[in-house]
Amino acid sequence: MPREIALFGVYLPNLTLLFVITLAVGWGIDRLVAWSGLYRHAWHPTLLRASLFTCLYGVLMLYVYH
Amino acid sequence: MTTSSVPALPGALRRGLDEWAQSEGPIWAFIFKALLGACVALWLAYRLELPQAGTVLATVFIVMQPESGQVLAKSFYRILGTLLGLAVTVPLLALFAQERVLFLLCLALWIGLCTAGAARYRDFRGYGCVLAGYTAALIGLPAIADPESAFMQALWRVLEISLGILCSGLVSALILPQNSSASLRRLLATRFRDFAGFAAAALGGQLDVARLEQLNARFAGEAVALDNLRNASAFEDPYFRMRSGRLGRLNHEFMVLSTRFHGLHQLLQRLQGEAGAQVRAALEPCLAGVGALLAPLGQHLCSEADAEVLAQRLEGSRCELMEQIRAARRQLVALHPGDQQLLDFNTAAEQLYRFTGDLHDYALTHASLLVHRHAREQWQDSFTPRANGLAAAVTGMRSALLVLGLGAFWIATAWPSGGTCVLTAAMVAGLVAGAPSPRQQALKLLIGALGSAVLGGLLQFWVLPWLEGFALLCCALAPVFALGAWLLARSATAGYGTGLMLWFCIIALPANLPPYDFQRLLNEYLAALLAIGLTTLSLALILPPDRPWLWRRLEHDLRMRVVFAVSGRLKGLVAGFESGTRDLLTQAQVSAVGRPEVQRRLLRWMFAVLEIGQAVIELRQEQARLPAEPCYAAGMPWQADIRALGRALVRLFIQPDAGNRQRALAAVEQAIATVRQTPENRPPQFDRSPLRRVLSQLHFIRSSLLDPHSPLAAGSATDAP
Repeated sequence: MPREIALFGVYLPNLTLLFVITLAVGWGIDRLVAWSGLYRHAWHPTLLRASLFTCLYGVLMLYVYH
Repeated sequence: MTTSSVPALPGALRRGLDEWAQSEGPIWAFIFKALLGACVALWLAYRLELPQAGTVLATVFIVMQPESGQVLAKSFYRILGTLLGLAVTVPLLALFAQERVLFLLCLALWIGLCTAGAARYRDFRGYGCVLAGYTAALIGLPAIADPESAFMQALWRVLEISLGILCSGLVSALILPQNSSASLRRLLATRFRDFAGFAAAALGGQLDVARLEQLNARFAGEAVALDNLRNASAFEDPYFRMRSGRLGRLNHEFMVLSTRFHGLHQLLQRLQGEAGAQVRAALEPCLAGVGALLAPLGQHLCSEADAEVLAQRLEGSRCELMEQIRAARRQLVALHPGDQQLLDFNTAAEQLYRFTGDLHDYALTHASLLVHRHAREQWQDSFTPRANGLAAAVTGMRSALLVLGLGAFWIATAWPSGGTCVLTAAMVAGLVAGAPSPRQQALKLLIGALGSAVLGGLLQFWVLPWLEGFALLCCALAPVFALGAWLLARSATAGYGTGLMLWFCIIALPANLPPYDFQRLLNEYLAALLAIGLTTLSLALILPPDRPWLWRRLEHDLRMRVVFAVSGRLKGLVAGFESGTRDLLTQAQVSAVGRPEVQRRLLRWMFAVLEIGQAVIELRQEQARLPAEPCYAAGMPWQADIRALGRALVRLFIQPDAGNRQRALAAVEQAIATVRQTPENRPPQFDRSPLRRVLSQLHFIRSSLLDPHSPLAAGSATDAP
């Protein structure tokens, strides 16, 4: 898998694109978790949200780069 | 220390510690967070070898704010603003990189636009605007000197700004977070407590006009703040996201409630003389009943459970109140009152009844916050902020002119530090645009920047040359950052803190390869201080915002709300009217800080506008739901007279002079007379007869027009200083 993509002639690392994708997917998961009320059981909901995002991003990155 | 040993502390010490944690604790938490955020950002900036570590840290300190709730929402809008700044500046670079005069002109226009936006919107869009202008200035101005590498530089700046926003956002959201939801809850509860306490006292007979005005001015500001908080909480807290619609509705219902209560208060206030005393005596039991319901709520903070109890009690007591009102009317009729007295009584009783209805709505919505999903969440109307476009345009024009003037000076003299000068002017313009008193804020920035020049010089030439490694650098910078954060933590000194930190980070912070160049440092600081000084001067000289021209504009805008009430679309009219009027008043109060007589006059206008506007809107709603009977047909004389009254009111509020007031009074008298002559096949009780309700609204408008304390009686005050 190439590590860079060309966007309108500008080379961007795949990470940037992945970040945007993770934002979209993460937002969806976030809404889902919030809707189901799971956040109420978390000690630090913001930390949970940030960690969820980080995990998701890490998984996608590892998947693409390995 | 384990928790079990805490009770062993002597009482006084524990109390002292608790007090400290309440008052000073958040400030120290903020300082700690600022230090941590700054160190993380600095380390990342050096590690990633970003060309300007200073930009990262300057962004951290622009973004870092003590009320650390709302960070997620703010960060989101700030990153959007940064990207917008990039998206606008890069095409400009591509078009005009070789033609620096044209480029500067476009850049000045864009910065002016962003500053105007920051002044116009005082919520998240405002932050976005500040960052869009800041990014454009940071990217665009260096490109004037070096067009070849401009594009890469632009990308670096955006990376640096985004890194700063992310670092400070994450640190403030994750470590010792202060949720905006807690402040939202507190704001709701204290507001209702104060309102209930005051209303109970007033219904019990203690009418206090000064306190009413003061409370209503506060409520208006809080209504605006609450809507901002609601948006932020929906962003960061899933619990409040599910309640966002209800919170908006609650805010709206409170505005309606306070307007209604103000109307009732005014009606009771106007019951003067012997005739008035008779009406008041007849009303007394009804008022006391509602007052007794409210009195306990004025003592403590109202929780959702309390609201539920209140709603249930109100439900029961409304039928009772209706009976009480009828009994009181019979009592009054037995005294053979005049027409006016009877009208006064009917109008006040109807206002009281509607007040309990509004209170019931409010209590229901408040109680509904207990559960996650509720039918009351369906709420279509929204808070519509209104701002004075002219004030924002003037702010934008001022900063554009300043950037242009300084840029021209830079180009004409080929001044090496001219870039810093223009950049500083653009940044200051954005930073002070949203402040209550821009000139004072700019002066604070100037003093802060002066302090940063002294500290930066000392640090760079006496301390930094001895240091080796990042840890030591952090130790050396920590005192400065802590001082800046300590200043930032208090709203009174926040301006000094911003000035100190921004220019310290931009000018004095070492890059990866630190240049020790005394001349450069001196020149850069001179340029920055000159720019802030000139901005302060321009704020004082070019149409300053805390002057009568703006008060006159705002007063006019307030009056035009009645025109909106008369001619606006009926759907969503109440929400738009109530929220917009309060937003305007809040701006007026801020722009007239330190001039209590002006604030009072503007407040009076708001009251007059709210009273008459609410009555007009309710008249229109009444007309819209009339049953299909011949006596309610649109062609009936009373309908025509009400339309004429609307036109007269519009004329009066556009030009409030004695003649127009007389005309409006004549129109309302005429309408009252025609409504009375219209035959109606219904019992003359206000819950059955639409014409009876129309009559009360008309009488309310008349009493409001006749009020000698109203600004309408004084005519237009536009010629007053």
